Amino acid sequence: MIKVEDLLYKYDMKEVPVLRDVNMEVKEGEYVAIIGSNGCGKTTLLKHFNGLLSPTNGNVWVDETNTRDPVAVREIRQKVGMVFQNPDNQIVGMSVEEDVSFGPGNLGLPSLEIRKRVEEALALVGMKEYARRAPHTLSSGEKRLVAMAGVLAMNPVYIALDEPTSYLDPSGRERVLDVIKKLNKQGITIIHVTHDMDEIVEVDQVIVMNEGQILLSEKPGEVFTKSEWLKELGLGIPKITELMRQLRRMGTDVRPNILTLNDAFLELSSLIKAKSS
Amino acid sequence: MYTIGQYIPGDSIIHRLDPRVKIVSVIGLSIMILKGEGFTWGIISVFLIGLVPTSRLSPHHILKALRPMAFFLLLLFLLHLIFTEGKPIPPFPPWCVTITYEGLYRGALITWQFTLLLLSASILTMTTLPTDLVSGIERLLRPLKIFGIPSHDVAIMTSIALRFVPTLLEEIDRIKEAQMARGANFKCGTLLQRTKATTSLLIPLIASSLRRADELATAMEGRGYKRGPRTYMKELHISQADYVAVAVMVLITLFHILRSYISV
Repeated sequence: MIKVEDLLYKYDMKEVPVLRDVNMEVKEGEYVAIIGSNGCGKTTLLKHFNGLLSPTNGNVWVDETNTRDPVAVREIRQKVGMVFQNPDNQIVGMSVEEDVSFGPGNLGLPSLEIRKRVEEALALVGMKEYARRAPHTLSSGEKRLVAMAGVLAMNPVYIALDEPTSYLDPSGRERVLDVIKKLNKQGITIIHVTHDMDEIVEVDQVIVMNEGQILLSEKPGEVFTKSEWLKELGLGIPKITELMRQLRRMGTDVRPNILTLNDAFLELSSLIKAKSS
Repeated sequence: MYTIGQYIPGDSIIHRLDPRVKIVSVIGLSIMILKGEGFTWGIISVFLIGLVPTSRLSPHHILKALRPMAFFLLLLFLLHLIFTEGKPIPPFPPWCVTITYEGLYRGALITWQFTLLLLSASILTMTTLPTDLVSGIERLLRPLKIFGIPSHDVAIMTSIALRFVPTLLEEIDRIKEAQMARGANFKCGTLLQRTKATTSLLIPLIASSLRRADELATAMEGRGYKRGPRTYMKELHISQADYVAVAVMVLITLFHILRSYISV
């Protein structure tokens, strides 16, 4: 479990804290989404999960280990993998397989073990054929998958992804989202930061942030019914939910908490059946 | 984009040699080329030219590798041709320039000397993956740790630099196009104007590179990077072919030493 306790964070010289009164828990196996408008502190919060940043006040615990502990940091970084936004600026190797081998190499694993992990990680993200390719020959989506493989090669328990679908075209987005869902099904805890509400309709918890604070932490069904409030915060709601909301305003009696196309279809078809009988 | 000696994929004996053997050989050959004379150059020429088919490289590849330096080699030849004292070659110019037989001889020899240097380095880079080159350099530098040279750090730095060259080139193109869309002109105008235009390219590039470095460092830390020793997926192994290669190099070196210090 990742536990955040009364977290306060200030960049050195600044007066205004970037994060304050942050309290949250991510249980193993969960799929948690964090949403918030630009500048609300999402990325800063993420960097606390693997000890890249230490709290100014408060504590962050990863499986009972405090992230402030300098000795435990390597272990924490093996447990909590992080995939960043810019596809290029996290690829270090001159070939795909060399980059994926970077993490295990840092852990000092023997060469055969590294090769095994690289192959498995690339297979997990569906990039096995790209092993010898050079990074600059890849599309943004492929680079993103390589970054994910690089993290997976360290056998993490938790993976935090900072806007994993940014810079991607629709097919790239779909590929990445599929992999994320697959990983969660295999038991990896996912922390997914995003602007796109449609991506996260099936998650376990949605955390809403604004100006460094957590305002709400609920199931998606609860969060996305608050469309007016979310709008004020500069956030949207899933497109299907918006559609249903508009229908409600026009008089159709649909449930307010519909998130997926499938649910909308079922709801509407039962309404149509009821009307026609 | 001209790259001197870009890697040509292949499976020849030379491709499969341990990079350390190849690197040390090139260093050794270069020293002998610079210090040697006729006999040594002859042997090395035969050796290097013989390496070309052995490594399944075509003459076309070699010419492509040498092309960027063609102008320099030509200049080198001409300078020696013109400025060497000696017996003048008669039916020459109305200009104040005299060319001599000695100049012809020296020019050709020195130009060939440099061509050999380029050839040996090109064969190295054309038959060795950049990844393996860096591995080789890292292993070779490891014993220098006692002198404070951090071989692992050097390897990572070189690796990252090489990895980002194509990416930075793309970025330059992007910035150039963006600035051109805003009216910058990189082609016409006075030297001063074009220099100013280049500033509009350099400053965003430097700024973005600094940010890139910062993000990359964060990502590396996130994957457990620390300075110092680490393990690699590919471990280098010395094989039989490597012993043969070393034997050949030792032989050439012996010929050179014998010729330089014993005869004449």
